[in-house]
Amino acid sequence: MATAGKVIKCKAAVAWEAGKPLSIEEVEVAPPQAMEVRVKILFTSLCHTDVYFWEAKGQTPVFPRIFGHEAGGIIESVGEGVTDVAPGDHVLPVFTGECKECAHCKSAESNMCDLLRINTDRGVMIADGKSRFSINGKPIYHFVGTSTFSEYTVMHVGCVAKINPQAPLDKVCVLSCGYSTGLGASINVAKPPKGSTVAVFGLGAVGLAAAEGARIAGASRIIGVDLNPSRFEEARKFGCTEFVNPKDHNKPVQEVLAEMTNGGVDRSVECTGNINAMIQAFECVHDGWGVAVLVGVPHKDAEFKTHPMNFLNERTLKGTFFGNYKPRTDLPNVVELYMKKELEVEKFITHSVPFAEINKAFDLMAKGEGIRCIIRMEN
Amino acid sequence: MATAGKVIKCKAAVAWEAGKPLSIEEVEVAPPQAMEVRVKILFTSLCHTDVYFWEAKGQTPVFPRIFGHEAGGIIESVGEGVTDVAPGDHVLPVFTGECKECAHCKSAESNMCDLLRINTDRGVMIADGKSRFSINGKPIYHFVGTSTFSEYTVMHVGCVAKINPQAPLDKVCVLSCGISTGLGASINVAKPPKGSTVAVFGLGAVGLAAAEGARIAGASRIIGVDLNPSRFEEARKFGCTEFVNPKDHNKPVQEVLAEMTNGGVDRSVECTGNINAMIQAFECVHDGWGVAVLVGVPHKDAEFKTHPMNFLNERTLKGTFFGNYKPRTDLPNVVELYMKKELEVEKFITHSVPFAEINKAFDLMAKGEGIRCIIRMEN
Repeated sequence: MATAGKVIKCKAAVAWEAGKPLSIEEVEVAPPQAMEVRVKILFTSLCHTDVYFWEAKGQTPVFPRIFGHEAGGIIESVGEGVTDVAPGDHVLPVFTGECKECAHCKSAESNMCDLLRINTDRGVMIADGKSRFSINGKPIYHFVGTSTFSEYTVMHVGCVAKINPQAPLDKVCVLSCGYSTGLGASINVAKPPKGSTVAVFGLGAVGLAAAEGARIAGASRIIGVDLNPSRFEEARKFGCTEFVNPKDHNKPVQEVLAEMTNGGVDRSVECTGNINAMIQAFECVHDGWGVAVLVGVPHKDAEFKTHPMNFLNERTLKGTFFGNYKPRTDLPNVVELYMKKELEVEKFITHSVPFAEINKAFDLMAKGEGIRCIIRMEN
Repeated sequence: MATAGKVIKCKAAVAWEAGKPLSIEEVEVAPPQAMEVRVKILFTSLCHTDVYFWEAKGQTPVFPRIFGHEAGGIIESVGEGVTDVAPGDHVLPVFTGECKECAHCKSAESNMCDLLRINTDRGVMIADGKSRFSINGKPIYHFVGTSTFSEYTVMHVGCVAKINPQAPLDKVCVLSCGISTGLGASINVAKPPKGSTVAVFGLGAVGLAAAEGARIAGASRIIGVDLNPSRFEEARKFGCTEFVNPKDHNKPVQEVLAEMTNGGVDRSVECTGNINAMIQAFECVHDGWGVAVLVGVPHKDAEFKTHPMNFLNERTLKGTFFGNYKPRTDLPNVVELYMKKELEVEKFITHSVPFAEINKAFDLMAKGEGIRCIIRMEN
């Protein structure tokens, strides 16, 4: 391409300060170095994680910064040593990567790459500790190695999943974070047998994706648990068959669920990050074969507590990161699930705005409206 | 047989009072009723569980009682409705049963039969709520449905495993409790891959069996953890390759193990029942793929506590009861493992006494000498 090896000037939505509206600026994007790729972003979407680190209440504040980690794009150029992708390839950037060489990448089970695992504090590239974004020669920091709120971004090749070029990027861009996290929590980790009963705690984007995963796996009952009953009707579209609001019951919710299911659910997936919900999600599974999966990220001071006999009575507790999907190896298969119409992503996309109106996406999320808002670069 | 359908008079070791020496008495053993079998016991062994309930410190005292739940014997007669076993069959009595009809028995994973699951307080048969043992017309109570400290005992057919009649009963009798519990915890639940690293907490009979299970599974490093270093040398015979005494280190033992193993062990099996050891056994496994299995039975007020991120970093915690073996379905296969010389049970048997000297077995256990003492009925 005409831009290969050169600095690109393009538009980016820059967060100059915590909690303040993003500002569309012209930034310079340096060319990719060894093991890096530069990607033209066509579509991106907003995730809670972007908002948390943008608000920076409790998180390490790194500003000015370009957020964004759910996106679909096209490889513009590649740096030295990159062999898996080439200019023109369609890719999904992922907030956590897969180097393919470390113990975690070589493990059949783990997706927590030693080199490229999510790092929310780092605002620079791994290779040289510098940012590839700048304005007037001053660095604008990266976010989780993706920074997709820019028309062009640079990332480590291990953080891009090459996907089917026929896949509509304005749909599948939502697969690179919350959606696959919930889906994989069900399909890869909880693994509900056909005909089983699954409880999903928390009916936000991740929980709805977990319900969708349980539906795809063939669960016969999917019980949605949430403190906000206005989420219940919408959740039916994602496979939930019945609902429990813990506030409607005097008994602990794990007892309520055990009574509803003749001893406990076969699988549960916890998607709120609330420590009490985590304990409830474990204690509501059936003895003998029940498996609970923790997905929601807890407060840093949280402590999981339960009676150890709950384990000795043959219950299993697991946790998952990004649904246990290996980014480069597995995410293309999730896209194929969509292409084969086994997976429906349209119902997750409730809004769409042009890049110039990106702050509207933040407003929608702050109001709890909708699930995912697509941001169209229109470049 | 000449005794079928009739009361048998035989010798039994009766515990009249908690913590007092057993007394060899002549007891009457009633014939088996529907779904029951009467078994001639040839060999039995002493397990810690017998001692705990004999001492009855904290346990519900049920006396007078006939203890014993590790044994090998021959079916003497069967009650109405029994079709799986017949007089002359060689069997191992098991403290927990398998009815084959309940949800747990039908589950591929559970061995916690709704009907026949271990019940330490019950001293009578399920069918009619009465004991089959008596002296001068007064009942002598059963123990976990097996009561093998008697020349003849009656149990539910679901609690007997029919085994290869070529198997030496004086060896395989130890398989019906602690050995299979530890063995199965490794082979069935932890499932260490070939070449993996396993930590075993607690090097008593169950822990040594867990180490043996890890050895059979092909683990390359088996790290024994115990506060009593005098157990270390003996544990080498069971597959342990190295040892850690937590008292030798200032750091928490899970950190010591993580340093020894480049991030954590692949599998751990906790066989002490101590709540701190349980937490350590979980926290010492590797992120991404580590699995910890709780085997040791905890104090009733124990509380398992850990940071939930330990789960979200893709560690799994499981618990097991009787190594997840289904008594009637699986225990015969464990016997076959012995017959094929894949499993060595001789090294678990450190002493042997005649039935008349059964109290010597209690003395040996109280002194912490040896692992299993075989009690020969010589009848």
